[in-house]
Amino acid sequence: MAKSAKSRKNSKKSASGKAPASRRSGLWGILGRLILVGLVILAGWMVYLDAVVTDRFEGRRFEVPSRVYARPLELYDGTSISAGALGRELELAGYRPGNGSSPGTYSRSGGRFIISTRGFTFSDGAEPKRRLALTVSGDRVTDFRVLIGPSSPIVRLEPAQIGGIYPAHKEDRILIQLSDLPPLFEDTLLAVEDRNFYQHFGVAPMSIARAMWVNLQAGRVVQGGSTLTQQLVKNFFLSREQTLVRKGNEALMSVLLEWHYDKQDILETYLNEVYLGQAGVRSIHGFGLASQFYFGEPLAELDLHQVALLVGMVKGPSYYDPRRHPERALERRNLVIDVLASNGSITEQEAMRAKARDLGVTSRPSFSENRYPAFIDLVRRHLARDYREEDLQSEGLRIFTTLNPAIQYASEFSVKQTLDRIDPGNGDGGLQSAMVVTSRDSGEVLALVGGRDPRFAGFNRALDASRPIGSLVKPFVYLAALAQPQRYTLITPLQDKSFALVFDNGQRWEPKNYDGLERGDVALHTALSRSYNLPTVRLGLDVGVDSVVDLLQDLGVSEAIPHYPSMLLGAVPMAPVTVAQVYQGLATSGFNTPLRTIRQVTDASGEPLSRYPLAVEQVLDPAATHLVQYAMQETMQEGTGRGAYRRISRDLALAGKTGTTDDGRDSWFAGFSGDLLAVTWVGRDDNGPTSLTGASGALPVWADFMASVPQHGLSPVIPDGVQYHWIDPQTGALTDEFCEGARLVPFIAGSEPTQTRNCGGTLQRQLRSWFEGLF
Amino acid sequence: MTKANYITCGLLAGALVLGGCATSNGTSIYVPSAPAPGFDPPPARVEPEPAPAPQTSPSRPAVSPAEREPTPSPSYRDEGETLSGAAASLIRQADSLLAQGNVPAAIGQLERAQRISPRSPEVYFKLSEAYVAANNLGAAEQFTLKGLSLAGSNVRMQRTGWLLLADIRRARGNVAGANQAEARASSL
Repeated sequence: MAKSAKSRKNSKKSASGKAPASRRSGLWGILGRLILVGLVILAGWMVYLDAVVTDRFEGRRFEVPSRVYARPLELYDGTSISAGALGRELELAGYRPGNGSSPGTYSRSGGRFIISTRGFTFSDGAEPKRRLALTVSGDRVTDFRVLIGPSSPIVRLEPAQIGGIYPAHKEDRILIQLSDLPPLFEDTLLAVEDRNFYQHFGVAPMSIARAMWVNLQAGRVVQGGSTLTQQLVKNFFLSREQTLVRKGNEALMSVLLEWHYDKQDILETYLNEVYLGQAGVRSIHGFGLASQFYFGEPLAELDLHQVALLVGMVKGPSYYDPRRHPERALERRNLVIDVLASNGSITEQEAMRAKARDLGVTSRPSFSENRYPAFIDLVRRHLARDYREEDLQSEGLRIFTTLNPAIQYASEFSVKQTLDRIDPGNGDGGLQSAMVVTSRDSGEVLALVGGRDPRFAGFNRALDASRPIGSLVKPFVYLAALAQPQRYTLITPLQDKSFALVFDNGQRWEPKNYDGLERGDVALHTALSRSYNLPTVRLGLDVGVDSVVDLLQDLGVSEAIPHYPSMLLGAVPMAPVTVAQVYQGLATSGFNTPLRTIRQVTDASGEPLSRYPLAVEQVLDPAATHLVQYAMQETMQEGTGRGAYRRISRDLALAGKTGTTDDGRDSWFAGFSGDLLAVTWVGRDDNGPTSLTGASGALPVWADFMASVPQHGLSPVIPDGVQYHWIDPQTGALTDEFCEGARLVPFIAGSEPTQTRNCGGTLQRQLRSWFEGLF
Repeated sequence: MTKANYITCGLLAGALVLGGCATSNGTSIYVPSAPAPGFDPPPARVEPEPAPAPQTSPSRPAVSPAEREPTPSPSYRDEGETLSGAAASLIRQADSLLAQGNVPAAIGQLERAQRISPRSPEVYFKLSEAYVAANNLGAAEQFTLKGLSLAGSNVRMQRTGWLLLADIRRARGNVAGANQAEARASSL
C-alpha cells in the first residue's frame, strides 16, 4: 500500500512539465528516491522476516502427538499365552521374523521362540536389551531363559503403540537428536540434498543460478537449487507454492536463519521437520517417525540400504513411496548408494552389498491409529479428566494403557464370528453388539469392542449404548437379601407365583416369568440360577428397592437409578462398561475396583506425570457375595447360562448371568472366570425387537470368547464366617454327604438349617472308606 | 472332609468327570484355549510351597466316584493361591525399592506382581506395606482387607493380615478396630 501511494505521488510530480535537463536529473532523483524507498521497505521486510524466523525458531517446539501404548507383555515361566497370540503380539510391537539375534527380531519353530528385545525404559525401571528363549506349551510359557543380557526371571517386552493423539493438522513425528542418527546418515543426506551445507550461508548462489538458467529456458520452475536450510524454511514458514516472491523470501529467511543459528541446530530441526509420507490423514514428518513407519524400527538401528531409501525419498515421498511404487523406490535408493560410493563414503563392495538387499519395508505401517478406536475412545475420555486436549496433541506424552492385544483380538473375533452366524449377511438384520473385558482382580480394561466392525470409529456402543440391563440386575437383588442371613439363605423357599402391584396412580404391574409358568416354592439359589422373575420381584420388594439401588451405587453407578419396582427386573439403563464396573464388585469378594484404562502417563522423556494405581474398596458383604457367586456358578452349570459349556471346557469354572429385555430388544451376558470379567450385549441400534434372549445372543459371544482365551477357572476363597453344609434339597435339612441328591451349599455361620435328615448311605460310606484306604 | 474331597478330586480328575477340581500346585485350574494335546502336557510347575487343593462340592454322590454321573458343582477353595516365582521376584525388587525410599517404583513393581498372582494374599499385604510407606493409610487398610479376603484358612496369612490391619488402624486412630484385629490375630 505504502509503495503504490508513493508512486502515484511521484508520477503526479513528473507530469507537471519541466525542462529536459532538469527532467533528466529529476528522473535520476526519482530513481534514487525509489531505490531508497525500496531499501527502506526491504529493510523493514527483513526486520519482519527476521522476527518471524527467530520467533518460530526460538520457540521451536514441534507439536508432538501423544503416543498410546498397549500394556507391555510380561514374559516369565507361566505367562498365559498361546503361541499364535505371542506371534501376533510380537508383530504388533514391531518385531520381525528373523534369526532372533538382532534386536527387534524373533525366530519361531513350533512353540519354541527366540526373541531379541530392543529394550525399553519404563518409568519404574529400564528393561535392557536381551535375547530370550522360551517355549509355549499348553498355552503357557515354559523354559523361560535369558540367553544374553542381564538375567531375570521376568522380562517386559517393549509395549506396542496402538494409537496417537494428533493435533488438528495431523502432523505426526517422533523427535530425534543428531546423536540418534545411524552411521553414514548425515553423509548420505548431505551428499544427496546439500553437498555444501557446512560451507554456504543459507543459500548457494551457484546452485540458484544454475536452477534459474534451467527454469528460464523452460519458461517455468523445473529445478530447485535449494539448500537444506532453504528446504527447512520452505516447510517451516512458507506455503508450498512456487513463485518468485516466495523464492525471494525463502532465500532471505535462509540467510537470516544461518545468521542466527548454528549448522547443527538447523540440521536437527530439518531432520524432524522434513515430510516423508502420508498415512490416511496423518502426515509423516521427520526421519524418526519415517523409520518406524516404513521399517518398524528406530532410526538408530537402520542399515545403509534403509538409510539410502529414506534419504532418497526426500525428493518425492509420494512418488518414491516404497509401498506403492517399489520399483521407483528401489531405483532411487540404488542411485543414492551409487552417490555414496562415488564420493568415497563407502567402498564399491559395500555399495554392491547394500544394493543387493531388498527394500526392507514392512508390509503395513507399524501401527494404524484406527486399530482400536473403541478402546482409544475410552482412554481419551479418561485422559480428559486430567489433561487438556492441546497438551495431549502437542507435548509428546506417552500414555501406557491396559489394552491386552490378545484379549482384544479374541473379543473382536468372537463378536464378529457369532454375529455373522446369528445375523448373516453383514448386519443386514441390523444386529449390533458390544463387549467389555476386564481383569477380574485389578479392574483393568483389557479389551473393548464398540460394534460389529471393530475398526469403525463411530458410535461406541460399549460406552454410549445405555440400555435396560434386564436380569443382569438380579444378582444384586439376591445380594441385598443374602446380606440378611437371619432372614435369607441360599435354600430359603421363595414363592414363584404371580401377583399384581397397583400403584397410587391406578397403574397395575403384573410381572411374569419368561416362560409364563409358575412353580410354587423354589429355593432361592434356583430362582437366581434359572432367572425366575416372580420370586425375584417378591424378594426385592421384601428387602426394599432402595437397598438394591444402594448396592448399585456403592459399586460405582453414578447415573440416577429409578426407584420403581420394575428396576428389580432390570428397568435400569446402563452402558456395557457400567455393567462391567458393577459386576467387578460381584466378581471379587465384594471389592469395588474402579475400571482403569491407563496405568501411567509420562512426558516425552519418560518422567512420570500421573499414575493411575490399582485401588480397591470393600463395599459388599464378602460372605453374601460368596453366596451369590455360588448361585451364579450354578447358573452356568445348570441354569440359564449352561449353554456356554457346549463351547467351553467343563474344567473352566465360571459364574455369570443372562439378561433379556422385553421382546428381545437387549440380549445381555455378564460373567467371570478366575482371571477375566466379560460383559456382552447384542441388540439393535434402533431398539427394535429381536428373537434373541440373553442365552441365544450375548451368551454365545461370551462363551466363544471365554473358550478362546487361556485362563484360570473361578474358585473363590471361602470368606470369614461362611461354612459349607450338605443339604437335602427336598426338605432343606442338613444331611449326609452320601445321601441321594445331597448338595453342598455355603451358609453364613449361624444361618444353616438346624434339623437333620438321615439316609441309609452306609454302603456308600464304606465304599468311600475303602477307596480312601487305597491312598 | 477336606481330605475326602481332595481324594475325590484326584479320582474324578482322572476320570475327567468333575469341573472345578484342580491339581495341588496351589493355583486355580488353568484351562488352555484349545484342548491340550495329550502328548504335550504342560510341565509341572515348581511352587514355593504346596498349598492345599481347592475344594469342590460334589453333589449327589449316591454311587462310587468312578461310576458317578458327571455332575458339575460350584467351585471354591479354602485358601488363596501361592505366589508365582515371577511375582515373588518382583516383590523382592519392590522390597529393595522400598528400602531405598522409592515408593512409587515399588508400587509399580507390586502392581506387576498383582497382575501375575492376583489371587495370592501376600501381594496385597505387600501393597499395603508400600501404601503405609507412602503414608496413605486408607489405601493400606483396603489392601490389607483384600489380602485377608484371600487368606482363607491359611493361619500364617491370617495372622500377617490381622496384625497388619491392627497396626494400620491404630495409626489411623481407630483403637477399637485395632484391638478387634489384634484379638483376631491372637485367636488363631
